[in-house]
Amino acid sequence: MAELNNKTLSRRSFLKRTVAIGAGVSVAGAAGAGLYLGSVNRVSRAAGKKVIIIGIDGMDPRLSEQMMNDGQLPYLAKMRAAGGFRPLGTSIPPQSPVAWANFINGAGPGSHGIFDFIHRHPEKPQAPFFSAAETVAGEGGWEVGEFKIPLDFWPFRHQPPRTELRRQGIPFWDYLDEAGVPSTFYDLPSNYPPSPSKCGHHRCICGMGTPDVLGSYGTYQYFAEDNPPEPVHEGGGKRFPLRFVNDTAQIKLLGPENNLLRKPESTLVELTIHRDTAANAAVIEMGQKRIVLKAGQWSRWVDLTFELRTPWFLPGRSVRGIARFYLQEVAPNFRLYVSPINIDPRAPAVSISEPSSFVTDVARKIGPFYTTGFQEDHKARTNKIFNDQEFIQQATLVLEERFRLLEYAIQNYDDGLLFFYFSSSDLQSHMFWWSDHEPHPSRSPEEAAFYFNHIKRLYQQLDRVIGDIIDRYGSVATIIVMSDHGFANFGWQFNLNSWLRDFGYLNPVECPSILSEIMDWSRTKAYGLGINGLYLNLKGREREGIVEPGAEAEELIEALTQGLLRVRWGDQPVIRNVYRASEVYRGEAMALAPDLIIGYHRGFRASWATCLGDLEADAISPNLEAWSADHCADALEVPGVLWCNQPIRSDNPSLVDIAPSILALYGLPTPPTMTGRNVLG
Amino acid sequence: MNTLTTVVVAFNTLANALGQLLTPIAWLPDWLSLTLIAGLTGLGMLLAFKYTSNQRAIAQIRRDIRANLLTIRLFRENLRVALTAQARLIVAALRLLGHALIPMAVLTVPMIFLLAQLALWYQLAPLPVGAETVITITLAGPTETPLPVVILLDNDAIEDVSGPVRITSQRQVCWCIRAKQPGYHTLQFDLEGQRYEKQIAIGEGVMRVSPQRPSRHWSEVLLYPWETPFPRESLVQAITIEHPQRSSWIAGTDSWIVYWFLISLVAAFCLRGFLRVHI
Ligand SMILES: [Zn+2]
Repeated sequence: MAELNNKTLSRRSFLKRTVAIGAGVSVAGAAGAGLYLGSVNRVSRAAGKKVIIIGIDGMDPRLSEQMMNDGQLPYLAKMRAAGGFRPLGTSIPPQSPVAWANFINGAGPGSHGIFDFIHRHPEKPQAPFFSAAETVAGEGGWEVGEFKIPLDFWPFRHQPPRTELRRQGIPFWDYLDEAGVPSTFYDLPSNYPPSPSKCGHHRCICGMGTPDVLGSYGTYQYFAEDNPPEPVHEGGGKRFPLRFVNDTAQIKLLGPENNLLRKPESTLVELTIHRDTAANAAVIEMGQKRIVLKAGQWSRWVDLTFELRTPWFLPGRSVRGIARFYLQEVAPNFRLYVSPINIDPRAPAVSISEPSSFVTDVARKIGPFYTTGFQEDHKARTNKIFNDQEFIQQATLVLEERFRLLEYAIQNYDDGLLFFYFSSSDLQSHMFWWSDHEPHPSRSPEEAAFYFNHIKRLYQQLDRVIGDIIDRYGSVATIIVMSDHGFANFGWQFNLNSWLRDFGYLNPVECPSILSEIMDWSRTKAYGLGINGLYLNLKGREREGIVEPGAEAEELIEALTQGLLRVRWGDQPVIRNVYRASEVYRGEAMALAPDLIIGYHRGFRASWATCLGDLEADAISPNLEAWSADHCADALEVPGVLWCNQPIRSDNPSLVDIAPSILALYGLPTPPTMTGRNVLG
Repeated sequence: MNTLTTVVVAFNTLANALGQLLTPIAWLPDWLSLTLIAGLTGLGMLLAFKYTSNQRAIAQIRRDIRANLLTIRLFRENLRVALTAQARLIVAALRLLGHALIPMAVLTVPMIFLLAQLALWYQLAPLPVGAETVITITLAGPTETPLPVVILLDNDAIEDVSGPVRITSQRQVCWCIRAKQPGYHTLQFDLEGQRYEKQIAIGEGVMRVSPQRPSRHWSEVLLYPWETPFPRESLVQAITIEHPQRSSWIAGTDSWIVYWFLISLVAAFCLRGFLRVHI
């Protein structure tokens, strides 16, 4: 018992210590926030029933089991010992937006309409878009001088540009909401823009899918003396040159576009940088405000205000954002990384929570935090702006912030459902996971093992956090720890479009991309888009479809399936399963479904190029990117995890079973919209 | 200019001494203290007006105005009479303004110093414990000469996060510090064996915040009254500490002055009958 108490203490102090780091930010603006928080008026009908779900993106059952066996995850192992652990069946395909939508609807992609990270409209295969949300261009506007002002009231009813949630069907919290059971979600994926709460018992801060102030899924800005003389826009970021005169340089931070202009242009914030090479540090000046950074130092969140030009007769408008600065080097090559400019949760430019005031209330209490969907800046690592250690450092900053938010979430939780999400395990595993004995494509065995150990330490850290929650709520709450999928090495990449070309399904042979103008749709029977999707060029559906539905399509599907299952790399099969959408999906939201879903063996994944429709010389090539592990394989290869502090009845629970189980805990029946079943007690 | 600065510094000494009376601001909610102060300001303005203006003349003008207003109403059809009365009204208004000039002149100086004292409390918030901020020290001398070594001496109230970082082109040296202990503290800087001091306010709620110890220039001294300005020949010209803004609708950064002005006017207006002041 004494030992247990000691452990309790150390776990508590662990969370407290992580919370204490950088607590200064949280103290700022804390005064009076209690007043705002007290104003939420909800009468709970949860009757004190508590359910806490910790969603750990990408936590893998094989590694977890191995670590539990080795005694490295004592608190999770304890739940396993009591019958509360199973691998958790994931979605087809096992991609996070799809998987979390399965969790949300308690049903598969046929019900929510998210089949891949990337979708296309059949009539516009050359314009792929992010599947969970779509930006809809504005319509109309009052043109005055260089401005175009949308007047969204009668009789004009102009439509300003907006983002729409593409997820369809009924999220499970709607049933809780109706029954008067409060539910609170911190960083829920696949829910941006936030779906509204009908009865006011549901609160949610949007997670994966939430944009930054540029409207992108995270765009860093990187300033260096050795950058090319012209700005470079690369996936996930922008590089700008800078030049010092007398140790002073001017830079401009790019803000959101001013859509009130007929020709929208980017807003800017000008910064002056003074460097002191002897001190190996710099002062960054923004108007009256200054930041002092040593080389290798991260700033705290810095407030940025982007002024939008408006016509003289309208009041000025501005957009607030927050960013963290990281001074990488002072001399000889000055390098400054500026994080994606996140929407300021204290004054969000667009609603990123339900209700809109929820995120503001939280931020008033604990200070600003990352609000973009992807918080660990994997793009900066992929584009070699961060090295591995720097990426770990940034991911650690995110994790510390998450712990602080979790502490807030727990302290402000009475009853009903509490959901809290961690992305660290996913985005760090993509870089550092390496589980087998086969050689890593770009690391030495020692290096690969060193970084894989970092992932194991992360699992241990999360185990302690869960231990802390069990300490506080174990006796009064149902605690569920789950992931959306597991992980696998990604040593080899398969270009589906190149393979289709090699076998004559896609033409002409010299075509560089299915988005290219020389693409010949009249000689193309199938194409790949997204990570796991394969589409037939079906007559009547695709803009220039040539494959007749019926027997011809059936034959083609059969030939493609057999061909893909035969693909070998050396003596290894590459593809484990090819699923037919019509067989694995059912529901009302099938319009954008691919025809076939490719399930790769561990070690393989769709190539980087093919995801956006590009072709390469070879259908199979090594993956030399920093992103060296993935989960977009066959669903059977990468199940997720499920722990519960009460026994799990089913031997093979799946993501779609979580929602019905939660409803059952509150005495609610499984609605007909769900395909899952109750798997708890 | 020198004389003006000396005068402002002398006034500041007096204002700071009287400013001690404002200490209870720290104990009251900001909106309450500001309302009370604005009310008292209104009362003070009214009394000052009463004793520095020609009350009898003002009363006479007010009677004239009333008479002329009556004339306009009664002789609406008679254009000549109405126009004369209107002209008289304008003259009366101008005369009223003229009578207000002396009280305004008398009030201007104390008001400026009162506002500077109030700004110490309401314009900025103290540094919360754990918050980071930047201290900038501005040195005298031509930009071509190298900057001397400046040391921020150890102090239990703060933690030195990074610095000193020199901005040669502006003859400034910066530090990033983290606030540790609540209260008013004095930071010490060493420059060529000389000590230079700057006050720092750390804590919650309302505190007297002096964001800058100024150079000896009248406008700076007027804006930053609390700390003794550096002498003209001093190597250190100014020390600045960035402070967060106060977020409060009534008594927050920049909004407090509007509220104070409105409430003092309302107070003066309400009390004028009671104190029999003609304005
Ligand atoms: Zn992932």
